[in-house]
This record gives sequence, structure tokens and C-alpha cells, in this order.
Amino acid sequence: MSRHVELDEDRAVTAEQITDSMRRRLGDGLLDSRPAGPTRLYLTVDPAKIVDAADELFNGLGARFVISAGTDERENRGGFRVSHFFSFDDEDLYVALHALVPEDDPRIDSITPIIPGANWAEREIQDLLGVTAEGHPDPRRLVLPDDWPADVYPLRCDFDTRDRPASAEGMAPPMKNRPEGAVMVPVGPYFPTQHEPEAFAVFVEGEVVVDSDYRGFYNHRGIEKLGCADLTYNQIPFIAERICGICGFVHSCAYCMAVENAAGIEVPRRAQYIRTIFLELERLHSHLLWTGVAAHIIGFDTLFMQTWRMREPVMWLCEQLTGNRKTYGMNIVGGVRRDLPADAHEKIEKVIADVEREWSALTDAVPGDRTLIARLEDVGTLTPDQVRQTCCLGPTARGSGVAIDLRIDHPYAAYGELEMEKCVEDGCDTLARTLVRLAETPVAIDIIRQCLAKMPDGEIQATIDEEIPPGLEGIGAVEAPRGESFHWVLTGENNRPKRWRVRAPSYQNLQAIGPMIHGDVLADVPIDIGSIDPCYSCTDRMTVIDRRSGQMRVMTREEILDRR
Amino acid sequence: MIRDWLCKKILPRALWVYHVNCGACNGCDIEVLDTLTPYYDAERFGIKLVGSPRHADVLLVSGPMTRQAAPAARRAYEAVPDPKFVFAIGSCATGGGMWHDTYNVLGGADQVIPVDFYVPGCPPRPEAILHGVATALGLTSKEVHALRAIQECDAVESCELPEDEWLTQELD
Amino acid sequence: MLIAMNVLETLWTKIKQALICLRPGRVTLPYPFAPHDPEEGFRGLPRLNVDKCIGCGGCANVCPARLIRIVDKDQTTRVLVFLYERCTFCGRCAEVCPEGAIEMSREYELSTDDVHDDMIGEYHIFMGPCERCGRCYRPPSVLDKLQQPGFRSDCIDRKCPPEGCRIVLDEDTDDRAEAPTQTASR
Repeated sequence: MSRHVELDEDRAVTAEQITDSMRRRLGDGLLDSRPAGPTRLYLTVDPAKIVDAADELFNGLGARFVISAGTDERENRGGFRVSHFFSFDDEDLYVALHALVPEDDPRIDSITPIIPGANWAEREIQDLLGVTAEGHPDPRRLVLPDDWPADVYPLRCDFDTRDRPASAEGMAPPMKNRPEGAVMVPVGPYFPTQHEPEAFAVFVEGEVVVDSDYRGFYNHRGIEKLGCADLTYNQIPFIAERICGICGFVHSCAYCMAVENAAGIEVPRRAQYIRTIFLELERLHSHLLWTGVAAHIIGFDTLFMQTWRMREPVMWLCEQLTGNRKTYGMNIVGGVRRDLPADAHEKIEKVIADVEREWSALTDAVPGDRTLIARLEDVGTLTPDQVRQTCCLGPTARGSGVAIDLRIDHPYAAYGELEMEKCVEDGCDTLARTLVRLAETPVAIDIIRQCLAKMPDGEIQATIDEEIPPGLEGIGAVEAPRGESFHWVLTGENNRPKRWRVRAPSYQNLQAIGPMIHGDVLADVPIDIGSIDPCYSCTDRMTVIDRRSGQMRVMTREEILDRR
Repeated sequence: MIRDWLCKKILPRALWVYHVNCGACNGCDIEVLDTLTPYYDAERFGIKLVGSPRHADVLLVSGPMTRQAAPAARRAYEAVPDPKFVFAIGSCATGGGMWHDTYNVLGGADQVIPVDFYVPGCPPRPEAILHGVATALGLTSKEVHALRAIQECDAVESCELPEDEWLTQELD
Repeated sequence: MLIAMNVLETLWTKIKQALICLRPGRVTLPYPFAPHDPEEGFRGLPRLNVDKCIGCGGCANVCPARLIRIVDKDQTTRVLVFLYERCTFCGRCAEVCPEGAIEMSREYELSTDDVHDDMIGEYHIFMGPCERCGRCYRPPSVLDKLQQPGFRSDCIDRKCPPEGCRIVLDEDTDDRAEAPTQTASR
């Protein structure tokens, strides 16, 4: 049987039970409870009780924190909406906690002290909307650039998307934990030899990592602002596709699913199957890509070249079927734009058969490679408890025994009709995460074969006769190769969404790096970071601060790799 | 001109490339890496990726120029010694892509650093990147040019294409 | 003994890895010395066939990169400007065009040293002016095209789409604000 998991009666939680539990905890603080179908529950709470509400869901009922979002609703509701999203994975239920903070006092209690994984999400709301998270342990600027002026909040409705305020001095967020007695030289984000715009600062005592810091968001392009009453519903899938260079189709699917969920649009079955095929093809090439990049990080370039050779026919196949190797452009609200051509089945089968054959040879040749295993084993340990606290996902979580996989937990597209197993390992280290990804490759191939065999006939697009009414909300979530990609849409006027919230899995996984590298040797930090598979794992640039001597120097990747 | 001559005489022997991502989704970055993989094998032309701009002849820029990355990109450009080429890879680097006008994007790469060659695509195929490099080095000629077409009109006897000043004004 | 086993195992693994590399042989494509064109259905540069275009602006409406500009130069000329430099080749313009005037070509070798001048498309479409408001529009059907020039203008009801017309007609008399002109219309 496919997705159905026998629910433990003691643990099973329904929407009614959640509502009752919240009512007992919050009393009058629970302002509204609105289920939307069997898989969505939208709760509105008094902002003064937000921490209690979050605590009840996260600790009391065992939900997983997904993300937070802020929306400017001053015009129609007189305040800012702060939303925290949770998931009950075993029950296929997403729960939203909405709270409206008044316009003249935009503050709300921070939930980060009880849910460490909400750290970035709340800082993002601060940066982009100006709603302060009171009591946040680390309220530094996160998303906006270093020269962005204070008190200018891009996601507010009165800020025009095209506005570019003048540079401001002194707004850059400081890196944390300056060692006593040391002189901090700001190397890192502005250092000329940086390969990739992100910077990790790693604090070491001798060789062992004791702390770290991160300054990212160089790639902030204002995507959500384009989804705020700017672009139309059908322009956004193409924006979504370009959020990420590998998970493009994932994001466009999740967005379309969110709008379809909000507006109650039923996607034809054939379109669901076509979406599933491309989602799994994307997973195939993504895992092969990651294997190559991870190998490249630890210096095994042969494996890099060979895995990328193996993945190339998948790229050609996608180009033949969709018109582009990577940006498939297939999704539109209500279905897909292109049908599979008549010879698609043979073409797909041939390519995946080749990948399967090569993958078998690869997995046969890896376990005995002691050097490779030695670089991955017992490195980058992340315990299940740390997974839960940082709310990380995907293979990063499954490598620590935390079995979250949306294809089974929150089935979407055609997954509800297909058979698959979750790939879970217990090692909690980088090797475990590698094995998870290697195991998922034949599962993806099998899913594609099932889709080809069961492909239904029929339409590929739902007919949408009327304009989507404003004021509806919907959630779409897809299991990307890296974990859960979560989209929330609030529909708006004039064929445009009012708010579009995107949360890629790496957003949570990157927050798990701190606990992961703690206690590791310096030379293992690049592969640790690579093991979460951030979209393009690049940890060439690293600032090393030796806490004992107070000295600081910058290391190149070659130096780091040579140290082992 | 001497710089161009130098580039075309010396660089075809071995182009060392430093890649800078100014805010890209990584699609173009992956296609750039793809050109080094067995099917495209850019290394047979002597092209290789280096870890420091000081060692590079070519700066390969991908992604729209975000406000945060602009200073870093400028410094990377200044660190590459002359003679140098700058390639803008992908629609975001050539023209800013879909987010050319948002609050955190300044536009294409040429808003901050002078670009010598543009390779459009979203993402450009590895073949397109190789074609771009070959064209820049004078090994092949560029294929694209402006498309201008006027619809045939029977009722009007002759039509001259007027000066385009009004056009550029309208485009701002 | 254990060390010897480990060494043998590692050696055997390396042989298997070497076989992975050797089995496919040399796979490098002959590109750029021989073409490697994409198949049909590839989304390359979108080209507009001016003879089919009716100047409706649907393409400009849907382009996610908002690169299509529509400029009414005068009463008879509508210019569509495609700023291809930021085109992401999504193909929405081709998909929504009611006349099938836009085709996604298979051109992908678009590299240039002067993107702002080379990656631009400028298409001049001749339109007729609306009899009521004077703005230009293009009659949509072939039948309409057959009916001119030379046809008496008061026999054909040529008006721009209702939402575009600025002039209100008297409901009883249907009086027009200005007389239609023969030469300017198509």
C-alpha cells in the first residue's frame, strides 16, 4: 500500500482535537478556527498569546515548525498579519497560526526561544515588514543588504517594488562572538577571492570548531515582492522556477498547488502524473549532481566527472520533452502547458534504464572505498533532537532517522496513487545523508516507471472560467530533493496574489549547520555544509578565528583539504 | 585594441576562468560547471576554473547584480589582472532577467562591471557557453543581431523608418 | 592479514571505479566543431512574424520578464519592442498569441559583445484608427482585410475593442464624434 500509515490511535491528532487543545490553552485567545478541507487548518489567535499557541502546537502536540510569514494588511484589516506554519506529518495536516498586530504597535513576542528553527523566519519578518520579534535571541539584520537604510520595509504595500533607497552607512549586521582580546578584521563577505556570495565564520580552538556564524542572502532578489500584488497568477510560475537552479520545477509546482489549493481548482489527473514524472526526473539529476559536488569538495574529482556524465542524458531528455534542460516551463495554475509527446515513454524509459545501470555500478564501487568512507563517516553529526529543534528536512533529517518525506506524509500530485518507501538512515552523519540520497535514486526511477505505466488519458489543464476571488489562502508543499519546499498564497484583486511566501528547504537546513559542525575538525566543515546540499554548495571561503591565539587568517579550499 | 589583440593571440592557448555568482539561482553556474564535464569538456581548450581572481584571465559572472553582491563583484573584477575578459552568463547577468527592476537588483552585470561578452539563455546550454567563448576569441562569428521588421502595408505608399529617438524615450 | 585484505578491497574498488570511467569510452561531443542542435520543441529566441501580428498586446501582458513594450507611434503604427536581453525563453508569448505570430525558434547561440543593440526586436505593425476615438487598432479577420481599401467606410462597423474606446456615442442617434477617414484605415 502506498501512503497510508497506520496511525497510532494515541498519537493521532485531528483538526478538531487541535482546535480543542488550543481553546483549552488559549481560552479567548483563540479567535477563529477554520478548517479548509481535510489537510489544512487555519487558526487566528490573539497576538499576545502567540507563544502559548506555538508552544502548544510544537511541544504540546508535537508538530513540526515549517516557516513564518508577514503580510501587510493595514489597508483592509488595520495591521500586519504574522503567520506561523506548522505541520503534522503523520496526519497530513498543515496548521497556520495567524495573528494580527496593530499598525501603530508592530511588535509580537518571538517564538524562537521555544522553537530555535524559527530564528531566521522571524528576523526576515523584521527586516522586510518591520514587525519586531520581541525577545528574539539574535535580532540582527538577516536578509536586506548591508547598506539598506533603517525603517524602510520592502514588503509593505506602500513600498514600490521598483524603489531603490539610497545607501546607508553602518547598517551591516555584526558577526557574533568576537573573542576577547582579538582584533576582528572584517574579512568574508567583501573579500575579493570569494567564489560564492555567502560567508561562514568558523571559530576554532586549535583544530576543533567551537562556534560559527553566517552571513548570507546575497541572492535576495525581491522575489516575494514580485508576488505581492505585482505579477499575475500565471506569470509567477516562471519566476518560481528560477528561484533555484536545480529545484525549479519543485517551486513552480508548489506555487501552482498553493493557488489551486486556495481557489479549489482541481488539476486533471494526467497533469498530476506529468508533474510527478518531472519532479522525479529533477530529483534524479539533482542527487547525481550532489554526489558529484560532494565528491568534488572532498577532492574526488573522478567521481564528480562521472556522476555528471551520468546525469547529462537526463538533462537532454528534459530538453526534448519541455524545451529547456532546466527551466521546464511546464507549470501553469490548473495544470501543465505541454503534454508528453507520443514517443515520450520510450525516451524516458531508455534514459532511466541507463541511469539505473550506471547508478548500480556506482553504488557497487563506493562502499569499499575506504578513503571516501573515512571522509564521510562520523562527520557532521546531527542528532534527531537537533533535527527537531532546527526544524530541518529532507535527506538532512532522514539521515538522522527523522522520517519526514512529503511524498508520503502530505501526498500531492500523483503520489497518493503510487507506491514508495521512505529512505531513512540512522547514522546521523554525512555518510548517512549520502546513503539516503543514493537510496532515493532507484526509488525515483521506480516512481517514474509507475507513472508511465499508470498514466491516465485526459486533459492537462483545468478550465478556469472565473477570476480567482480575493481573500483566499492556500498552501502547496512539495518534497524537493533537499526537503520540503513550502509555498503559501493569499489571493488578491485583479488576477494577482496579495502575498506569496516561499520557503525552500535549504532555509531550514542551513540553520542546522551550526550544531552540525560543532565539535568537528576544521577540514570537515566543507563537506558538512555540502552534506545538507545547499543549492550550490560552496564553502571555498572561510574565515578562521583561533580563539586561543586570537589570530585570524583566511584559508583557501586547497589548504583546508590538505589539512586532512 | 591592443588589449583585444593580446587577448586573441595569447588567451586561446589557455583561458583561466574565475567564476563569480552575483545573485544567481545557480542554474547558469551549474551549466558553467557542466562545460567541464565529459560531454562538453572545456578543458580540451585549456579552459579551467581557478580559485582566485588573481590567477584568472576571464571573469565569468552569473546572476543579476544584487545590491549586496555588487561591491564584492566589483572587487573581484578589480582583482583580476589585465588583460582580462568579462563574460556575463545567462539572462540575469545580461539584462537582469525577470527581476531586473526589483528593489534589491541593480540590473545585469554591466551595471557594476564592464562586460565584454554576453551569453544569454535561461540557463544557456553548455554549447551556448562554449559558443560564447569561441566567439569572444574570434574563432567563430556571432550569430545574433537586432531584429527589425515592418509589416507590409498596401494602403500606404511608402514608409521610411523614422529616427528612433522617440523609441528610446518611451523605453525608459 | 587484515591490512592485506583492506588493501585488496581498496584495489578492487578502484578497479571498479576505473571501469565506470572506461566503459563509456570517449563521450565528448564534437561541438563546437560540429553542430549539436536542439530538437523540435526547444525554446530558443522568440521571433515575431509581423504579417500575422494584430497588435493585441497579449504577449506583453503575460511576459514574466516584462520585456515586451508596446508603443503607439502614431495613429497607424504600433511598435512592439522585445528587449530580448532579459528574455528567459519561457514561451508564454508564443503560447498566448491568438494569431500564432510568435514562434520559439531553435536559436540558442545568442552570444554577443553588444547585447543592448543586438538582442532587441522591433516590429512595426500597421493598424487602422478607430473611427470613434482615433487610436489605432488592427482589424482581426481576413475578411476584414478583404474589405478594403476602396470599401465605403460607413458599411463596415470598425471600432476598437469596447474597453479601449474613449468616445461615448449617443444611444439614439449613434452619432459619431468625427467623420471616418478613408485613407488612414486598412
